Amino acid sequence: MFRKILIANRGEIAVRVLHACREMGIPTVAVFSEIDRAALHTRYADEAYCIGPAPAPESYLNIERIMETARKSGAQAIHPGYGFLAENPLFAERCEKEGIKLIGPSASAMRTMGSKTLARKTVRSAGVPVVPGTLEPVSKDEEVLRIAREIGFPVMLKATAGGGGKGMRLVKDASELQSSLRMARSEARSAFSDDSVYVEKYIESTRHVEIQILGDQFDNYIHLCERECSIQRRHQKVIEESPSVIITPEIRAAMGKVAIEAARAVHYEGAGTCEFLVDPDRNFYFLEMNTRLQVEHPVTEMVTGIDIVKEQIRLAAGEKLTVPQEDVKQSGHAIECRIYAEDPDRDFVPCPGLITSMRPPSGPGVREDSGVYEGFEIPIHYDPIISKLIAWGKDRTEAIARMKRALSSYVIMGVKTTIPFHLRVMGNRQFIEGNFDTNFINGAFSEEKEVREPANEEFALLAAAIHLYEEERKRAANHVSGDAAEPVSMWKHSMRPGVPGNWRVRR
Amino acid sequence: MNYVAIIGERKVKVTVEAKSGSNYEVTVDGTRNTVNASRVADHLWSILYGNKSVEADMLQLPGDEFEVLIQGDRHRFSLMNEHQRAMLQPDVKGTAGRALILSPMPGKIVKLLVEIGQEVGANHGLIIVEAMKMENEIKSAGAGRIAEIFVKEGDVVESGAKLLLVE
Repeated sequence: MFRKILIANRGEIAVRVLHACREMGIPTVAVFSEIDRAALHTRYADEAYCIGPAPAPESYLNIERIMETARKSGAQAIHPGYGFLAENPLFAERCEKEGIKLIGPSASAMRTMGSKTLARKTVRSAGVPVVPGTLEPVSKDEEVLRIAREIGFPVMLKATAGGGGKGMRLVKDASELQSSLRMARSEARSAFSDDSVYVEKYIESTRHVEIQILGDQFDNYIHLCERECSIQRRHQKVIEESPSVIITPEIRAAMGKVAIEAARAVHYEGAGTCEFLVDPDRNFYFLEMNTRLQVEHPVTEMVTGIDIVKEQIRLAAGEKLTVPQEDVKQSGHAIECRIYAEDPDRDFVPCPGLITSMRPPSGPGVREDSGVYEGFEIPIHYDPIISKLIAWGKDRTEAIARMKRALSSYVIMGVKTTIPFHLRVMGNRQFIEGNFDTNFINGAFSEEKEVREPANEEFALLAAAIHLYEEERKRAANHVSGDAAEPVSMWKHSMRPGVPGNWRVRR
Repeated sequence: MNYVAIIGERKVKVTVEAKSGSNYEVTVDGTRNTVNASRVADHLWSILYGNKSVEADMLQLPGDEFEVLIQGDRHRFSLMNEHQRAMLQPDVKGTAGRALILSPMPGKIVKLLVEIGQEVGANHGLIIVEAMKMENEIKSAGAGRIAEIFVKEGDVVESGAKLLLVE
């Protein structure tokens, strides 16, 4: 086993990996940017090294500084988390060259799956069903038109190097093709420095279901069943669950089998995820493979009882898979809500800032994976994810009830969060019935008016009036006793306009 | 003590008087309520109203704004001492016909899309603010001329910071 592990990430996922290392008795190394000196992962690790200024390219994406820190600290392995360098084959190659084990698949597996067309070709020859379309990037506009006519509109244009919904365009008919193609190419160029695109048939009303797989270094594979991630905003998952209400044992077994074939085709090592589209007739098609730990891995952990991060570490250390496929069972139901520092009332604009109060929920079946704390100032430089709230129940109904209970007692003050949005989804009839597809949030859900008046408004006013009264009384008492230095709470200080808090003006 | 609350469009008169123990008498628009309130943390109150129990998390924002969280619902209103309110009254107007553009979020000024003196129509892109890997283009609400620009590209601003003045 490794003597020391460096975690090349921040926020909730760095903390999640630190938990696993602690449980395994492995000393840990955190890296942090200048603005993350007091971040949770910096505080929690056994050692911490500053690797540069706040902007990610100068710190968390800085391969040189991270490699240098690994050498200096004596770390034998690096866990990349998700995002940042997690799916960067150049980073994987550097680790391979320098003899530091990257906890994840090989650079070549990463490269194959990172190219959407290469991935489609590779898995198709392994017998995995893919969405009808081209297996090669298409360069000429006339060629795109010919192919689109052949497979029939509507079609999707997708960036070969794509991901995260960038460089993706839905084309309903031939008249839209040229402008969509231009936009897809320019988006792909600026996001991935590669403007090649390919064409896929657009399948309407699909659900997003993915299979978690684990592979060891001896070509043994198991799958940990499915997660459904159809609740999405701007092509980003926001709520995930396991099991999926539409997946039968037969479909599960079939999807599991092809996911393992896809993994085997690239000698995949560690934890990975095959994403599929499922159409209304429950045909499934391979979408892509994510060569890293997923944000939503906890729902699988809750229903299978398998700690995916600890498995990643064991497999990276060269151990064999110990759980046989027939022992993998989903027990009960788990749901995850991603809590972001965004304002759901103002089109989800990011809301970084100081967390003035924070009391996470606990109690039966509730898990909170968080990267922040009361008094932490969420920086503007990184992802707006604050934490993930996971609820487990004996069935879906109990999981939803627990999630509602947990969300409504989750206190985060000072920044706006997506908690009210999640509460609305948990109360939505279609969601409760399991009747939704990937367009749910933009479609049926957003058209529905919120009818419920917020409860307890009169208590809010009573409490605020008493609070203000006591604050004034305290101030008056200080005055009388001649105490000039009125204690100003740190919260008030940083909220006051015109007083520079931790914001620095960069010149 | 007398207070004025503004909840949406509604103006409400509130008086608070401390009684024995942790009891308070709070009158809201003439209706008297007896409230038992225990301050369990600096910004957290446990409220007993009769025997109904709620917890209220308090956040005081600039400009006498209060945000109160009760069981997952956020309530926002302004609340101030009556004296203060009297003092504030006169200078409500003064910027009529002008639009001061404030930053909707803390972030970095990525790009200024206009310059001083430029005439803009409604919905014209003025400035791009970036936070958390997302760019947000702020547009003008109406037509006008750019009278003043308070920031420059690369500046880091707080939420509510003055960005531009359109006349």
